[in-house]
Amino acid sequence: MIVAGIDVGSLTAKCALLKDRELVAYRVIKVSPNLEETAEKVFCETLEKAGIRREEVEKIVATGYGRNKVSFADKKVTEISCHAKGAIFFIPTARTVIDIGGQDSKVISISNGKVAEFVMNDKCAAGTGRFLEVMANALGVKVEELGDIAERAKKATRISSTCTVFAESEVISHLASGEKVEDIVAGIHEAIASRIVAMAQRVRIVPDVVLTGGVAKNKAMKKALEEKIGFEIKIPPEPQIVGAVGAALFALA
Amino acid sequence: MNVGYLCTYTPKELIDGAGFTPVRIFAGDNPISLATAHIQSYACSQARGSFERALKGELDVQAVVFTRCCDTLMRLTDIWERNTDMKVHNLEFPSRIDEKSRNFFIRELEDFVAVLESWGGEITLERVKESLSLYRVLEEKLTRLFEIKPDYEVAIRVQEMNVRDAIKLVDEKLEKAEGSEGRPKVLITGSVCPFVDVYKLFEDAGFALMDDICTGTRFFTFNTPEREIRNMEDVYEYLADKYFNKAPCPTKHFSDDRRFEYILNLAKDCDGVVFLLLKFCEPHFYDYPQLKEKLEEMGKKTLLIELEFPIASYEQLRTRIEAFYEVIE
Repeated sequence: MIVAGIDVGSLTAKCALLKDRELVAYRVIKVSPNLEETAEKVFCETLEKAGIRREEVEKIVATGYGRNKVSFADKKVTEISCHAKGAIFFIPTARTVIDIGGQDSKVISISNGKVAEFVMNDKCAAGTGRFLEVMANALGVKVEELGDIAERAKKATRISSTCTVFAESEVISHLASGEKVEDIVAGIHEAIASRIVAMAQRVRIVPDVVLTGGVAKNKAMKKALEEKIGFEIKIPPEPQIVGAVGAALFALA
Repeated sequence: MNVGYLCTYTPKELIDGAGFTPVRIFAGDNPISLATAHIQSYACSQARGSFERALKGELDVQAVVFTRCCDTLMRLTDIWERNTDMKVHNLEFPSRIDEKSRNFFIRELEDFVAVLESWGGEITLERVKESLSLYRVLEEKLTRLFEIKPDYEVAIRVQEMNVRDAIKLVDEKLEKAEGSEGRPKVLITGSVCPFVDVYKLFEDAGFALMDDICTGTRFFTFNTPEREIRNMEDVYEYLADKYFNKAPCPTKHFSDDRRFEYILNLAKDCDGVVFLLLKFCEPHFYDYPQLKEKLEEMGKKTLLIELEFPIASYEQLRTRIEAFYEVIE
């Protein structure tokens, strides 16, 4: 049985095709303001990549904040449930999922293979991928480079503002006072990590802890979080598509 | 004349009995700007949003009664008095609910009648008796309606109209009301939420609702049966019993654990409990950790949702509520 999961997030849309619980193809594209079109596009591109015809897909589940705009989906499931399911698929021992997306972050605790509790931050950019983007911009570097830059740091410059806008001013003032870029970048990662951990403490953090979302690709972020949490963090092979895979698994069920 | 009020501990019966219309004031749908000059942004947005509407001239009320329920509303009394042309009265509703404060409250009620008269109201025993019985009818009908299926649009609207019209409206709704059996039931507990779309999100997600919300059942849940009223003293005694024994709110201090027991009892029949709390609402937030713990001991799943008025993003609320439904299902 072939099924598809489509995760329309705030910045990227992901599609995963599963054939009998096996991942056969996936795609990640940028989201355009027309969410319906974006969903259609990511779905078609994934089909093409897999060499599968649309009619062969028996069921489609949509997730992510744009899930209700995916009219061709058979069912909609929130990204909370999908991330939990997807994380267990990749790492069966997962008990806590930390997802850092483009515009929100969430911590999900899993018991008996199901979501037991969750917390979300989506009111502000603090502790999200957006925070990293704004800081990369202020420092004149690419967001993908941040992880490598942080690894060169001798120390972490303290960023005390939680608010993205204030933190940006703080970063600029650190630059003006002669702090090294790599130290500031390390400080930025610590700032996000403390924000996430503060939120995570509202649920029980039990290992294995799995980090998902685009930000999980950043090695320095993983390290900063591990230091604050005190557990090793596991990262699925393709952390960005965990939600889409979870959605596809709901289609199988 | 319309007399505004913000708190469910306001004895509306006396306002109606004086020939005025009690009208509850809610925060509006527009961003708060003018009020920011008078109240800091880390105060509750029900207070700021209500005052914003007053400053913008959106309120058709000529006087406002406050009841000293929380620190913010207590100070709002002074701010309102200084910055609007409305008549303002501060009824000192006691925070501690016991026999000593009951006598104090009765004196406050006597003073309140004098204030209403100074505003041009005419209070006679007959009129107050009529108001008492009309509100009792409204409260009974709303209770019946909510037992079938909560209707938050009606609950909000009746708080903004004359009690006679309110009864007619609830009667119309009662004729058509249908229950929603078979759905998982969620108890929504918290401060005020006059935005009906929020409750709709819960229904859309698949829940049947029960609430302990100041703009929901706490508006009409009282526990004092009808009794014979012979004079104004009886009126005061009755009102003191009625308001001291109403559905309890966390701004009040009881000698027993009344507030927690009330919530835990409501939660018994529910599959999950959602704390729908207004940002910076201290009385509710101070109770939250212990209450959550007790509910979890009962085996109830809980979810905390923080609101700020006007509500900026319903879709983000929708995700949390749907995810909670998936957890419970």
